[in-house]
Amino acid sequence: MRFYKKHRHIISAYIVAFIAVLATLLPIIWVGMLSLKSKGQTFTRPPKWFFEPTFSNYSKIWENDLFTDTFINSIIITIFAIILSITIALFAAFALKRYNIRFKGAFMQWLIIAYMLPEFLFIIPMYSIYQTLGLYDAHIGLALMYQVHVLPFSIWMLRSFLDEVPKEIDDAATMDGCSSFETLYKIYLPLILPGITATAILNAIWIWNELTIALGLTFSNSQPITLGIASFRGYISIDWGGMTTGSIIAIVPMVIFALLAQKHIVKGLTLGSVKG
Amino acid sequence: MAKNSTGYYFLLPSIIVLGFTSVYPAVYSFILSFYNWNWGAQQDFVGLSNYLFLLGDREFWIVIKNTFLFAFFACSIEVTLGILLAIYIDRISFGAGIIRSILLIPLMISGIVVSLMSKMMLNKLFGVIPYLMKQIGFSSGFYGTKDSAMWTLIGVDAWWQTAFVFIIILAGLQSIPKEPIEAARIDGVSEWGITRYIRLPMIRSLIFLVILFRSIDTLKIFDLVWGATGGGPGLSTEVVQTYAYRTAYGFLQMSKAMTIIVIFSIIVALLTIFYHRVDRKMR
Repeated sequence: MRFYKKHRHIISAYIVAFIAVLATLLPIIWVGMLSLKSKGQTFTRPPKWFFEPTFSNYSKIWENDLFTDTFINSIIITIFAIILSITIALFAAFALKRYNIRFKGAFMQWLIIAYMLPEFLFIIPMYSIYQTLGLYDAHIGLALMYQVHVLPFSIWMLRSFLDEVPKEIDDAATMDGCSSFETLYKIYLPLILPGITATAILNAIWIWNELTIALGLTFSNSQPITLGIASFRGYISIDWGGMTTGSIIAIVPMVIFALLAQKHIVKGLTLGSVKG
Repeated sequence: MAKNSTGYYFLLPSIIVLGFTSVYPAVYSFILSFYNWNWGAQQDFVGLSNYLFLLGDREFWIVIKNTFLFAFFACSIEVTLGILLAIYIDRISFGAGIIRSILLIPLMISGIVVSLMSKMMLNKLFGVIPYLMKQIGFSSGFYGTKDSAMWTLIGVDAWWQTAFVFIIILAGLQSIPKEPIEAARIDGVSEWGITRYIRLPMIRSLIFLVILFRSIDTLKIFDLVWGATGGGPGLSTEVVQTYAYRTAYGFLQMSKAMTIIVIFSIIVALLTIFYHRVDRKMR
């Protein structure tokens, strides 16, 4: 009892942590288990915790052209969108750090408003504009539209990483006769490479998980994986094997990505205003 | 600081891309909200009549009510739970890293996957949760009935997004200097007293930031609702973004959909500007 009294803060903390971890993991484990069950085992009553796992759902889902296509589309769109956002955002962040931009405050405010506004404000008119421009249902069109969210985020992140570089390094480069472009890619780029990687990873997670913009601006050719998974949710019947397996396939890479960028997630979630 | 035009050249690509993807469509939406465009050739200026129609439309007000109900309760639950979790887990040193990593997982899952997972687990015939509840004598319609669908969505959103609050508040708690806490402890202040009177006041601005981020995010909710209920049963879970989607893509009433989203965007923009102002003052 004395042990309990002395350590009760720690003990209660572990109890809370245990409950939270359980509440977080059980649904994911449950869906993971469903994905490993054969059709006959899915709905047994009472539900079985122990069973012979089968990977038939996983081999079957890759034979589903719709799912495979959306998986590949997502990879292409993610790469396009990341290259676009990181390049452009790096220039912008560099300009904001190094130069006296007259409308800096207004620009930053614009970034946060564009980032926060509801997606359909942009999607509904773009649905019509994109059809005229031939960008509707195209990978590059979706990657471009994603910039409305990804670009403000990247500028914010890269600026906060650039701010950590001491000014003296920049001064030295200027004295050595580096042009502004050289200063950016010879001096700053190597120094903030870890920050760029983290930003790219956080962008990838957002793009991979995005559904709203994709739903509004794609139809069949360039649907991403979120729409591929949604298609298992039929109106008449539900494809349980496809849904559980697709969910797990969508979750796993993102969790690995998140672990890689873990140090910077708090900074990412708060648009660079808090250091993790 | 260099004072030439080079800086503007570096900024130009961002201005072009953001202009095309945000200002252009936003202005387009705003202008067309004064027309009666229904995806056809007809496009007449109708002044404020879209706005006046919506203000008198019972359906629109139900949707507004649903959206704010969802945002208010989801946001309150997530902020409360997230702060409590952070306070407890802040005390842990052994195993804190792994606990933090695990609790972060839901944030990395897309809304559509969360909605499908919840649909499977809450399925009336095959779901595991209704089954377990039946064993102990409870039952609920979850997504199936008008009375429970919205509360089910709020609960699922809490499972999904509480980690957002938790992880930010935890980072805040861990950055507090140790000295005032040690001093209070020597003075015999209880652990909860320290939390209440030292820790939480010190991260006040962070709590404010989290509330604003969560409230804007819950107001904008789309993928979870679209995947789980599609706004039904009836209109019981229809929120602004699913309503705008249905109006535009289902009924092709483009101008009406744009009017809905313009009204809503003004609310979100005002909240954002308010946040930006206060945030700068607090720093």
